Amino acid sequence: MKQTVMNIRKNILHIANLALSPHIGSALSCSDILGVLYFKVLRLDDYENRDIFILSKAHSAMALYATLHEKGLLSKEDMEGYYQNGGTLPAHTDRLTNPYIEISAGSLGHGLPIATGMAHAIKLKNSGQKVFVLMGDGESQEGSIWEAAMLAPKLQLDNLVVMIDRNNLQGYGRADELLSYEPIDKKFEAFNWEVLRVDGHNHEAIEKAINSHTTKPKMIIFDTIKGKGVAFMEDKLVWHYYIVSDEVKHRALTHLNGESDEK
Amino acid sequence: MRNSVANEIKKIAQNDKSLFVIAGDAGLGVWDDFNTSPQFLNPGVNEQLDVGFASGMALMGHKVIYYNIAPFVIMRPYEFVRNDICYQELPVILIGTGSGITYAPAGMTHYVVEDITLASTMPNLDIFSPADPIEAIECFKYAYKSNKPSYIRIAKNGEAIIHKENIDITKPLFIHKSSSKNILVLHGSIVDEISKILEIVDLNIVTVPMLTSDFDWEDFLTNFDKVFTYEEHFINGGFGTMLRDKCEKKIYKFGLKNEYIHAIGNRDYLRKHYEIDGTNIAKKMKEIINGSSSE
Repeated sequence: MKQTVMNIRKNILHIANLALSPHIGSALSCSDILGVLYFKVLRLDDYENRDIFILSKAHSAMALYATLHEKGLLSKEDMEGYYQNGGTLPAHTDRLTNPYIEISAGSLGHGLPIATGMAHAIKLKNSGQKVFVLMGDGESQEGSIWEAAMLAPKLQLDNLVVMIDRNNLQGYGRADELLSYEPIDKKFEAFNWEVLRVDGHNHEAIEKAINSHTTKPKMIIFDTIKGKGVAFMEDKLVWHYYIVSDEVKHRALTHLNGESDEK
Repeated sequence: MRNSVANEIKKIAQNDKSLFVIAGDAGLGVWDDFNTSPQFLNPGVNEQLDVGFASGMALMGHKVIYYNIAPFVIMRPYEFVRNDICYQELPVILIGTGSGITYAPAGMTHYVVEDITLASTMPNLDIFSPADPIEAIECFKYAYKSNKPSYIRIAKNGEAIIHKENIDITKPLFIHKSSSKNILVLHGSIVDEISKILEIVDLNIVTVPMLTSDFDWEDFLTNFDKVFTYEEHFINGGFGTMLRDKCEKKIYKFGLKNEYIHAIGNRDYLRKHYEIDGTNIAKKMKEIINGSSSE
């Protein structure tokens, strides 16, 4: 798993550099979560009855593209067409670009309402599929999140798992200072969700939390570090926007390979 | 119209278990015999969720209907309709009640006089504005079979039936034929003003249940002299504006001025106050036909 996630991070840097696109910090933040999901959790062999993963924080699309490529569900050519003129994949997701990109997203606050509808449809047909949603922590400021948070327990959606990538850095600062969502665990618990909080870079902890049994909809707060894996990007707001030049990519790869003690 | 459509939905639901109705805490008396069905959900007062939820169910193969008062179908959750339903190309059917100023004197929050403008910004969204229960049922049947998203704006209940069955809602439907070379094109429940119009001016009158069909208006209108549109909607941005884009013919548009409605009164009062009642419209059309006005 460690090497798998390393490959995902390297490919994120690779396509961010090819595209000169922003959001590298956001993509690196959730790489471990996506790696564990796609390689340890999601059941994708039977396409019609597959588990569903929704990347609601779709500005991290590079992480999804790199993970799908690692999983063999997205070609190298398609992955490298990210963000290119006449390319294959947009900055935020478009469901018509690949059968495993489940929704078109990018505007925050959409993923959970859609996932709630999908989870309810699955309950009606009793197929046993699960729906997983990854949200940003700043995204929890959207009102639509709380609309869905109220409904999911009422519908007894025990097949719905919501994950928050809590790196505490949104567009213009610390999420908990701009508009605090804390104590988000208590808030979801009050709405009758099963709530867990674990290290979002610990693969065993991620897998255990996702797979833990519950009879309620589940919300997992993953404590993460924006830019994780590249020391000079870690927990730095600017890497929400800065682009990955050739020089930055080279420095970043030395960090990922453990060849640099630069901060 | 709303009961006719609801009854059609309930009838189809018996055989099509993929059909699913989301009613945004609206429809008292409409869904009372259906609201315990597993094919029905009232999620509460949360329009963004309603639309997102509808798209999620549609992604899983359901034919979803989202029913609510029209402002809460197309305006409040506009971006969710755009991104989740239309951009994702999902055949969700949006049904909005209280079209135009049906719910007068509820106030501006409950009027939809700009919904066609908004709906027409979404390239794949079919827009329907039936004038009677027969049109409403046929519009729903069309939307049900369609692979595209649909928006059906209906008034409320108790509208007079003006058609026999077996109508083609993709074409303009004559409800009054005349030897005149002039034609009035209207949609929606403002059709109930035509008796007042015909007292003053004789002209052909058609309803247009489906505003977005690919009907050849250029060809159809060639045979007419003056062409008027008439709708309970803002005058700029409604079907009259759409028709101007569909043909070269000069279109004389009648509708509500693009101003917020602060006057208080029932629908008939407000139609007169804002001079869109049949009598006023007929006088204006007569002046244009006689050449004494170029409005």
